[in-house]
Amino acid sequence: MNPRHQPTLVALLAALALLAGPTANTHAQTRVSVGVTETIETHNPYGDSVSLLYGIWSEITGPFCTYSYSKGDFEGRLAERWKVENPTTWIFSLSKNYKFNDGSPVTAADVVHSIMTRVIKDPQSKQKASVAPSIVNVEAIDKFTVRVITDKPTAPLLSLLCDRLIVTSKAAFDKYGREAADKEHMMGGGPYRLKELIPGQRLVIAKRPDHPVAKKNPRAPDEVVYRVMRETEQRVTALLNDEVQIAQFIPPHLRQRVEKSPNLKITPVDSVEIMFLAMQPKPPFDKKEVRQAVCHAINRDQIVATLLEGFASRLDGPLGPGQYGYDPNLKPKMNYDPERAKKLLAQAGYPNGVDVELQTPVGRYTLDKQLTEAMIPMLNAAGFRARLLTPEWATLWASVQKGTIPFYYMGRGSVQDPSATLHQYFHTGETPRIGYSNPKLDELLDKEQQEFDPKKRRQYLSQAMSILTEDAPACFMWRHKLLWGLNNRVEYQPLPDARIYAIDMKVRR
Amino acid sequence: MPAYLIRRLAGTVPVLLLISLLVFLLIHAAPGDPTLMLLGEETNTAEVARAKERWGLDRPLHVQYFKFLVAAAGGDFGKSFKYAEPVIGVIKTRLPATIELAVFSIIIATLLAIPLGVWAGSKPNSWIDNLGTTCGLFGISMPSFWLAIMLILLLAGVLNILPTSGRSTYGIAGPERTGFYLFDSLLQRNWPAVWDMLTHVFMPALALGVNMLGILMRVTRSAVLEVMNEEYVVTARAKGLAEKNVVWRHVASNALIPVITVVGLELGTLLSGSIIVETVFAWPGSGSLLITALNARDYPLVTGVVMTYTMAFVAINLIIDGLYAVVDPRIRY
Repeated sequence: MNPRHQPTLVALLAALALLAGPTANTHAQTRVSVGVTETIETHNPYGDSVSLLYGIWSEITGPFCTYSYSKGDFEGRLAERWKVENPTTWIFSLSKNYKFNDGSPVTAADVVHSIMTRVIKDPQSKQKASVAPSIVNVEAIDKFTVRVITDKPTAPLLSLLCDRLIVTSKAAFDKYGREAADKEHMMGGGPYRLKELIPGQRLVIAKRPDHPVAKKNPRAPDEVVYRVMRETEQRVTALLNDEVQIAQFIPPHLRQRVEKSPNLKITPVDSVEIMFLAMQPKPPFDKKEVRQAVCHAINRDQIVATLLEGFASRLDGPLGPGQYGYDPNLKPKMNYDPERAKKLLAQAGYPNGVDVELQTPVGRYTLDKQLTEAMIPMLNAAGFRARLLTPEWATLWASVQKGTIPFYYMGRGSVQDPSATLHQYFHTGETPRIGYSNPKLDELLDKEQQEFDPKKRRQYLSQAMSILTEDAPACFMWRHKLLWGLNNRVEYQPLPDARIYAIDMKVRR
Repeated sequence: MPAYLIRRLAGTVPVLLLISLLVFLLIHAAPGDPTLMLLGEETNTAEVARAKERWGLDRPLHVQYFKFLVAAAGGDFGKSFKYAEPVIGVIKTRLPATIELAVFSIIIATLLAIPLGVWAGSKPNSWIDNLGTTCGLFGISMPSFWLAIMLILLLAGVLNILPTSGRSTYGIAGPERTGFYLFDSLLQRNWPAVWDMLTHVFMPALALGVNMLGILMRVTRSAVLEVMNEEYVVTARAKGLAEKNVVWRHVASNALIPVITVVGLELGTLLSGSIIVETVFAWPGSGSLLITALNARDYPLVTGVVMTYTMAFVAINLIIDGLYAVVDPRIRY
């Protein structure tokens, strides 16, 4: 090479290195990027009601308390402990170690402000029905003790508050106003703080190393970047390229691409989302035998083994292992029995079959369309003349909520404690989603909601679920195993719901 | 020219009114309910009723529409149900990303399509003409969502030379000033951020621009073919001008008018195409915002975004009309 050209070449290479800089790994600290499927759209922590965001905001602001799947019970965090003073009054004692980003302690006044002003009274809140449906008042007993009053005995209150109640600073709200407090002065008492939020693109949280919970896990990442990636191909490719180290919800048919890489692994976890076929008690589903025939017609084991490649657990009732109130001895079990289904149909007055239309969302749940397509010939083999309809999700969901769809495939997430779900779908007059009514079931569901003795409450739940399985306003199908793609540099056990807690991650430095 | 502009601007009023009415009616007629989409799975009838009252959905449709019209006349599209912020503000934060994407798509499309079209048109039935025509057909027939996935698989997956999605890498860009990342980064002389932005925009811009590339290429080719037979081209050749000069100076410049028209028309297509491409590439622009708004049945936001697109389309057409006069001195308004 001509020596005169050497300085030019060196300068060119230096410029290229400078330009190529951002693609190299420039992390001074540990950082984990997570590809998530939900959109992150608003700075208002109370402006959305989805599992992922409840988890992220809870991590920034607490959480108030949390459900431990390993222990099968609730654990204290910001609320260290609690007691039931009387059936409509709960007392929560707050930890004195939780401090906002500015160093001020998280107090009872902040909890009162968060529940009463932000969740219940603020018209911009979308969380009242999910977090505080029965709470009528919250008051500070002293600086670190809160009294929560409900309008009726609410035994499952913890399932509504834990991992959901977001506690933000009253002082910041009073000083800056709602919008500026959320956008520019987000104060939280959790082990991470909000660092950046670009709606529709990403949310970044940074660890607060001095936080008491953060001190327990020094290997938790210093920063976590949640990147919105709705396309499955995108999440898988980003995982393979090390753009993200954790990818939510890898579909079973793409798992082999991930497993081929020596740096990656797939971690399956039983979801707490229960999948079911709902049947409104209108002809022909007004007859119990027809509903039972549907349940006996579907070969759940075969669908799980083939289409779902084993990545689902069959349900013999509304709940599976790990969910509160699960009873392994629940009866009856609606086993696959097409002959029995035919007889039941004949008993119901349909010896020559009956027309039914099954409606399903498309792309909302794992392989929803393919799974329901597989159900159609099974239903037909049992004597139904079934047709599959696939409306757009917004249309289907609005119709389900209004009670205008007689037969549909649906999922219900966040079922740690089944109380809210059972009331929502099966209690008389609660919602028109199924329109089912059974006074005996109503009585049991009312009792379980007012029963604070866990043993008795489980018994009521078990009896209620037995009635449901036998009377079959819904056929309970399966819980999907959610597949998470993980880089080997990160140790993390995904949770059965869509929550992600960065503080539970461990990064290999 | 001023009289022409006033006439054209006056003509846009009924267009905007009609579009607003259509969008308003269609989104309200679509099955689905914003209260049920936004209030969470555990919502109840009382909550839904309160939300409907708060958002004005309990009023008759014509009352809602006239309220919207009166507010829109003052530049206010109302408050988004989902974001609980003024629609204009929400759109403003997302529009720069879409404009940036559209500009890069046009750059890619025109830089490739015009030379290829001129070359193909000036040498009909040659191998370059066949290649150009094939490329044009490929561009026109390629669905952008499919191409987007293929690009991710190839450029991000197999070759691993570009990021899969997003608009920037966290931690590289400086503080945002205008919302236009490239412009902001150039202002700050943040070269790593400029490079980062270019690597992020390339795939979505290509996926979005390929269709326009195909159409532009074909239009340029036919325009060139037509101009090649004009007498002044024969004269230019007779004068002994080099073929390169004939083609690029006399033919290409005179073939530009239909090309400009198509660029104008295709800008509208780019805006609508961005809805899909932005969703696939998690590009936080107004296209992905529209999808979010539609899924949530956020009526004010859907109407606001569509009206913004309509106004942009009308404005682009006005500009294109103005450009005719620049390109062809014979045209006067």
